[in-house]
Formats: sequence, C-alpha cells, structure tokens
Amino acid sequence: MTLKTVGKSIIRVDAYSKVTGKALYPQDIYLDDMLYAKTLRSKVPHANIKIDTREAERQEGVVRIFTHKDVPLNEHGVVLKDHNVFAADKVRQIGAPIAFVVGESEEACINGMNKIKVEYEELPGVFDPLEAMKEGSPKVHGQSNIIYHYKLRCGDIEEGFKNCVAIAENTYTTHMQDHAFLQPEAGISYMEEDGTLVVAVATQYPHYDREEIARTLKLEEEKVKVINTNVGGAFGAREDITIQIHLALAALTLNRPVKVVFGREESFQAHSKRHPMVMKYKTGADKDGYLQAMEAEIVGDSGAYCSWAMNVLRKAGVHATGPYHIPNVKVDSYAVYTNNPFTGAMRGFGATQIPNAAEQQMDILAEKLGISPFEIRQKNIFKTGSKTATGQVLLESVPLDRCLEELVKRYDEFLKLKNVVDETIEEGVL
Amino acid sequence: MMEIQLIINDINYKVDIDVNMRLIDLLRDKLGLTGTKEGCGEGECGACTIIMDGESVNSCLVMAFQANGSNIITIEGLENNGELDPIQRAYMEEGSVQCGFCIPGLIISTKALLDKHPNPTREEIREGMSGNLCRCTGYNKAIDAAQKAIEYLKEGQNDFKNSW
Ligand code: FES
Ligand code: FES
Repeated sequence: MTLKTVGKSIIRVDAYSKVTGKALYPQDIYLDDMLYAKTLRSKVPHANIKIDTREAERQEGVVRIFTHKDVPLNEHGVVLKDHNVFAADKVRQIGAPIAFVVGESEEACINGMNKIKVEYEELPGVFDPLEAMKEGSPKVHGQSNIIYHYKLRCGDIEEGFKNCVAIAENTYTTHMQDHAFLQPEAGISYMEEDGTLVVAVATQYPHYDREEIARTLKLEEEKVKVINTNVGGAFGAREDITIQIHLALAALTLNRPVKVVFGREESFQAHSKRHPMVMKYKTGADKDGYLQAMEAEIVGDSGAYCSWAMNVLRKAGVHATGPYHIPNVKVDSYAVYTNNPFTGAMRGFGATQIPNAAEQQMDILAEKLGISPFEIRQKNIFKTGSKTATGQVLLESVPLDRCLEELVKRYDEFLKLKNVVDETIEEGVL
Repeated sequence: MMEIQLIINDINYKVDIDVNMRLIDLLRDKLGLTGTKEGCGEGECGACTIIMDGESVNSCLVMAFQANGSNIITIEGLENNGELDPIQRAYMEEGSVQCGFCIPGLIISTKALLDKHPNPTREEIREGMSGNLCRCTGYNKAIDAAQKAIEYLKEGQNDFKNSW
C-alpha cells in the first residue's frame, strides 16, 4: 500500500494566512456602526455588593450598561452552573464580572466604567484549600467548599506497608499557572437580518458557547450562531465562557455590532488557571525495590468556581501512582472552592501536577534503598500486561521500559550539560 | 488632531491622527493593517513588531506622531504580487506556525535581523528573536525557519508563488 499523506511533511492549511497577517482573530474584525464595550470587574475577592450605574449611564458616549438585572438566567458553567453572567449580590473572586459598559468608543466605555458605584461589604475570604475544607471556614457557595471527592481503593495498604523496608512520606505543592496564550480575549457580536444573533470569538467550545448563550438569554439555539475565528492559543483557558454571553446580550438588546478586546491584565483576571495542588504522599518499597503500597491525599484549589474541577481532580487521582505498578493503593483527591481566581482546564488536565510528587517519591525511595533512580523505576514501571491501580490492564503498546533504557544511555550526557548550565548560573551569566 | 505623512509598505500616507494615538492603533484601527498584533501593549511580547527606518520596533510603544516622516514595513508588505518573502516561505515549510498570533512579529524580527546580518549564527538568531514571545511552538522551529530563509536568500530564491 502506498500512503499519500502519512510520512510526508505537509504545510498546514492556515499557514499561508498566518505568515501573511491575513488570518483574522476577533480583534481584527471591524464592522460598520459598531459599538465598543468594557467589563467592570470585582476588585475584592469576597464581598456582598450593591451597584449603582445611574451616573455612569449619563456619561457622554455611553449607550447602555448591562448588569445581572438584564440577564434572564444568570448562571452558566461547563459542569456546574456556578458562574454568574454578572455578579448579582455577591462577588467571589477578584475579576468577577459585574457590569458590561457599551459605548460609542473605548474611552466612553472607560469613562462610564469609572462612574459606576460599587459598594463592597467585604466578607472574610478563604484562600488556602486545606483551610477551606474545614467546618468553620468561610463558604464560597452553599454549605460546603468541597466540590468533589474521588476515592481510589486497590488492595490493602496496611498489609502492603507491612512488607516495606523503605517508606517515603512527604507533602508536595504546586502553584497556580496562567496559560498566557498570546491573543488576549476579544470578540464581536451582531444581528443578522433574519434575526440570528452572531457572536464571533476565539473559543475552544463553539457548541457549548452557543448552548450557554441560548440558555442564559432564553433564546432558541437555532437563533444563535457562534463563529470560531482564528484562535490565538488556548491551552484550556478558552473552555470556560468569558465574553460570549455579554456580547450576545449587548447585540441582541441594541441591535448594533458590539466589540470587546481585552488587554493582557484583564485576560489574566478573566480566564481560568491551572489548579494548584497539595499532594500528601506515603509510598513504600520492599527490600528488593518493588513498590508495595501507596497512600495519597490530593487537594486541588478550584478557586471561586468549579469549571472542570471534578474532571481535573479525578485525573489527578487516577494518575496518582505515576506509571508504576503498585499492588496496594489508596487515593483520595478533592476539589475545593476558595476565593482565589478560578481554575480549570490546562494542558495535562490534572495529570501534570502529579509527577512532581510521584517521581520525587521514587528518587527518595531509591536513595533509602541504596539503588539508582533508574533501577527502582525499571523494577516498577508499567509494561504490557501491567494492571493499574484503577484496574485497567494495559494491553497495547507500553514502551516505557525502552524509554528508560534510552534515558540511561544519555544520562551522562545530560549530567555534563547540567554541569555547564549550573556553572553558567553560578557565574551569573544566566 | 494632527496630520502626519509616512510611507508604509512603499505606499505614501497622509493621515489625521489623535495626538494620543499609538502607532499600532494607527496601523490597525485607522489603516486596517491588522496583520500587526497586540499581545500585551507594553513592550513585552513582540507581537506588534514592525520595521521603522530599518530598525525593528514595538509599535505599541511608539506614538503615531513619532512615525511622522518615517518609512515603515509591516507584515502586509512582505508578500509581493503573490510572491512570498523567503522568510514567510521558510516559516510555512518548517512548521513554525501554530496559533499564528506571534508569527507576524516573529517574521518581521527575522527580517530585521537578516536585513542587517545576512549570515547570523544560531545564537545570533536567538538573540535577534529574543524580543518575541511565542506560547505555542517552543521557538526552535522559528529558528530553523530563519536558518532556512538564510539559505533561500543566498540562493536568490524568491520565486515562491503561492497556490493558496
Ligand atoms: S503588543 Fe507590543 S510588545 Fe506586546
Ligand atoms: S504560534 Fe501561537 S504564540 Fe506563537
């Protein structure tokens, strides 16, 4: 069989438009008679609020100010509907949208925005996910901050630890991270002649966006069209709604095109982040270097909204052992609300944080056993036929042992390179 | 309001500008040259890079009135009658383009470098591109593209008719 495409380098279809600058991102779209918009966002992490837009509405060039009162169903979210389109009586994180100021120019919108009076009655906040799990902690939504608890039970860890001569017990933490895609959020909305509402944005989920616009504005889905323009990077941060409903509401109400473009700072405030995790691990190996038991408690900070919290913390729990066979495993992973910026999808989706803990545990165990970091991995790594702690038998290609062999071969090379880098850092060159 | 005159991509312009207008706003909002991108608005990302009187500059940090009398090249000026610049061609062939938002800036930085130093080392290319952030590609492919472009320019190859 001759393959026409496989094995050949082909030029991607959008390369030409991108190298010539012709590719349109939402900020590149300009329509006749269009209005501009700016989003007023919460300046505090947790507060009851009262909004007064009267003076702002009188500013020259301000056409309309939208708040929660204008939204038929003020809730959205990819899993739980815990986001407000606009904060109604309470804000739960810095950056939560409060009002959408539409005007004849960006300056007019900024003037209007500065004249909106927001009275914040600040509430005690909770910023540490472990604190947030406690009974008496301030609650972000409802009665409990725990959104999700994933339990993995395999074998009997007490028995398993009895057979261990080396045990490593440590807590690892990872930090929040922004995707920082290069194209800040932007979008434009308008009405078509037949009454179809169009929102052009760079999104990862045009179909979800459409559904959410229709739901919150009580429209038929057939009357809503979401156009996905070129997307200037996303990495998970364009999965949750940011501007879509605001834009839709404005064009629908005003029957004129409306454009919004974020600056970098607003982009940071508006979209999700990577979950910071606290990972408490206990891992044990027997005298021959085989892992016998592992216990882990993983807490992910979901910030003020759920977004994909359960999916992310489930994935973290499922991957908790790393790529190693361990017969006795107990994992509890939790997703927890705090008043931090909300977290959601980001490349790896919960699997990325885990190796920080699981792999360091391996190194520490190797040291305790007096064997090399390679040997302990070679002994325990998944092979074809291995069974994971979740009960999956790996039947197909599992070439991890080969990967390790390659690493062993190149390890000296790596150490040399590392020395050069270390020296350069010491000399203060880097 | 004031009037300025400048050359952009070999075309003479006489335009009215607001005194507080940035060069990037003039290019994008007023003249419709939206190939130049804004990623940060504060000189960090290089998405807004253009060539002004032979030097690469961040157009978000230049006021429009400062461009009075200058000669500017933007990404729109590289393609000539359907013929791509060898740098654009190399970027396409080397797979250097992903989301593309950084690409106009990166290509312009590459051009500014090669216009001045036709034969830079890989290190010098890195240095020349150090003002451009790319979140997708990891930079290596852009550097590969620059190296390929150097070869094309040496061979005098700029007959890459586009078929898109
Ligand atoms: S937009 Fe000018 S450097 Fe980022
Ligand atoms: S290709 Fe996406 S930022 Fe460079």
